Amino acid sequence: MDRRDFIKFIGLNLMLITQGKRASAKEMPVVAISEGKDYAAITKNAISGIGGIGAYVKKGDVVVIKPNIGWDRKPEYAANTHPLVVKSIAEECLKAGAKRVKVFDNTCNDPRRCYENSGIQPALKGMKDVEMKHVEDERFVKTRLNGRFLKEWEIYDEALKADVFINVPIAKHHSLTRLTLALKNMLGIMGGNRGYLHRGMEDALSDINSVVKSHLVVIDATRILLDHGPQGGSLGDVKVLNRVIASTDIVAADAYATTLFNLKPQDISTTVVAYKRGLGEMDLGKIKLIKT
Amino acid sequence: MKVNTSKVSQFFFLVVFFILFIMTEYRGKDDIFFAINGFFRANPLVATTYILSMKSITPLILPGLLLIVFAFLLGRFFCGWICPLGTIIDLFTDRIKKKDTPPFFKTRFKYYLLLTLLSASFFGVNISGLLDPIGILVRAMTFFIYPLFGFTIRSGWTGLYSLFGDSRDYIEPLYGFIRDHIMPFRETFYPLAFLSTLMIFTIILLERYGRRNWCRNICPLGTLLGLFGRLSIVKRIPVKLCGDCRQCKDTCPTGFDQDILQRQDCILCMECKIKCSLKRVHFPIRLPSFKKDTVNPSERRIFLTGIVSGFALSKIFTFREPSSFEHLLRPPGVRKEDEFLRACVRCGECIKVCLKNALYPSSLQAGLYGLYTPILIPRLGYCEYNCNLCGQVCPTGAIPHLPIEEKRKFVIGTAVIDRNRCLPYEKRINCIVCEEHCPIPDKAIRFEVSEEIDYSGRKVLLKKPYVKEELCNGCGICENKCPLEGKSAIVVFSTGKVLKKRV
Repeated sequence: MDRRDFIKFIGLNLMLITQGKRASAKEMPVVAISEGKDYAAITKNAISGIGGIGAYVKKGDVVVIKPNIGWDRKPEYAANTHPLVVKSIAEECLKAGAKRVKVFDNTCNDPRRCYENSGIQPALKGMKDVEMKHVEDERFVKTRLNGRFLKEWEIYDEALKADVFINVPIAKHHSLTRLTLALKNMLGIMGGNRGYLHRGMEDALSDINSVVKSHLVVIDATRILLDHGPQGGSLGDVKVLNRVIASTDIVAADAYATTLFNLKPQDISTTVVAYKRGLGEMDLGKIKLIKT
Repeated sequence: MKVNTSKVSQFFFLVVFFILFIMTEYRGKDDIFFAINGFFRANPLVATTYILSMKSITPLILPGLLLIVFAFLLGRFFCGWICPLGTIIDLFTDRIKKKDTPPFFKTRFKYYLLLTLLSASFFGVNISGLLDPIGILVRAMTFFIYPLFGFTIRSGWTGLYSLFGDSRDYIEPLYGFIRDHIMPFRETFYPLAFLSTLMIFTIILLERYGRRNWCRNICPLGTLLGLFGRLSIVKRIPVKLCGDCRQCKDTCPTGFDQDILQRQDCILCMECKIKCSLKRVHFPIRLPSFKKDTVNPSERRIFLTGIVSGFALSKIFTFREPSSFEHLLRPPGVRKEDEFLRACVRCGECIKVCLKNALYPSSLQAGLYGLYTPILIPRLGYCEYNCNLCGQVCPTGAIPHLPIEEKRKFVIGTAVIDRNRCLPYEKRINCIVCEEHCPIPDKAIRFEVSEEIDYSGRKVLLKKPYVKEELCNGCGICENKCPLEGKSAIVVFSTGKVLKKRV
């Protein structure tokens, strides 16, 4: 064995050891669910079910909270993330020592009306170190995705630069993908002609989620939209569940949220593709559910 | 130095004008400040031509009628104390070298012009807004100056990003203030920007041939006020130039180009009173006298020519009937093209306030008569479902202020899918972005699911969209968001407006 072989041998061993460690450390992904009428409290409870915000947000971090603020609809119509859920996460982040919390979405309707009528802008108003700015075109940077459907796309730089990215969708119906959950909420950090993504939504979502990871996923199911999504507009389509779901595994979170609609995770093609591409677990038997 | 009260008032109203202008935008509230269009509603020219052309009256123009009453008492005080265009002219005029006024301006042109506009209105063609001084100013600002202003500042801010990246946020409080309170939310580049700017530049350039040249010799609003003010009770004494001084002839910006003060031109700016070294000039209140001292537009020649040319104008401008332009998409609430054209002031307020910049001034799409009237171009901007701002700011109700529930149902047009371009039909690829964006709670765009073999041989569940016509209000968000490059595969036609008239 010469020197070169020896180094190869040692290197290979080291790799195997670390790999083995990782495999043994791999636990079942956890999804925490909290139920109750106090939306601020259940949001906190759900997050504490997966270790509390302190496990993710460190002192001095810049945190991006990405709710769904896509539509000019009032909170009760279940088209946008509930303002209390967003506010409560922002408060938790500040408590954990976050330097700055940024909340934004690339909206579908007029951004001014969406920010205002979603109730999120009024809810965050006056909070120190929390900013809610409209997206600015120049901040979308062309980013290599090297995915199956998207090779390159404009991604919002604040999402790319964030120390912690918290994905806070609302669970609702969507006619193309049946449901829109955390995986699809990532469209809000994408610029350009987003309608193009509809041509290959499953792979597009996996492409973006492989590059921009959600460190924490909090799904707002305080009320869900059952039909005429993603913007609804009729209270008849809204079902109040008073639930919030939290997880670090985006596919697991989506998979569990799917059951709230009496659907199975394998019914949702975006979840299935993300699972197949290794973005997370969708088998409910292999997910640890914690009710808090 | 003595401060002239009229100058203070001019400055005050100029500031008010700019504030109202900037406030003409969505700023977080569904309802906009009611006096936002005050300069048009308190406008005697708008009020008079509205009454003549519509043969009816609306409460919206009552302030304009009130101003007519004031004009009877005070003459052209509006021009010297309030008119923002007059103030802007005053700001520039001292920097412009004067030449002799060419004889053309010394004719009775303005009376012919005014009477032509009034009589054309009476015959059903109201285009006075095109020459209304406030309209000229607002259009130049809306279509060119304001977007340019916003664009300049925003590109500066964007430039800072490419230079310093996130570090630019150190001056974000300053920029944020300007962005939130002064700049337009987004810049739109409008057709007719050049013409609008040209008009105001021409007016300023006219100053070369005498002070307040536009006001004195052309402005239809000023001329109208002058007519009302012929019997004004405020009178300058002495009425003539004094033989030993004649200084007033140079001081006066408007009424003293002859030896006798032309009362219908006096804008009550009081410059002559302040500058009079002999303290002779006074503006006492006197009972009106009926002395025939000036040009009289009821002179048969002017009157008849005005009527005839107004009639001719009304025929020329409606060479193609307004009803032949019913294919245009108009702002929500507009029903009949002809009625709309008669009531519209062409002030551009609706275009300025439009939330998604769906409205654009028509260049020639609606014929010469429709110049500057708002048309909706969905591919460039759609009508936001929960917004009725255009109806709120329209000074004459040409775009009615519909309650929001009614506005949501009002049919602007109907969307039609072009199956030769639409992806599921043409390429067998799923898309339905239009359906996703349709704001109607029950969805005016729906889809059928069919299992087909796509062009690469795979089985696909195709979602093929179709329009539920009786629900579609023609807001145009589908046409706007259609992800196809270039022309949209779903297009709003005015069909529904003409055929259904649901509301």
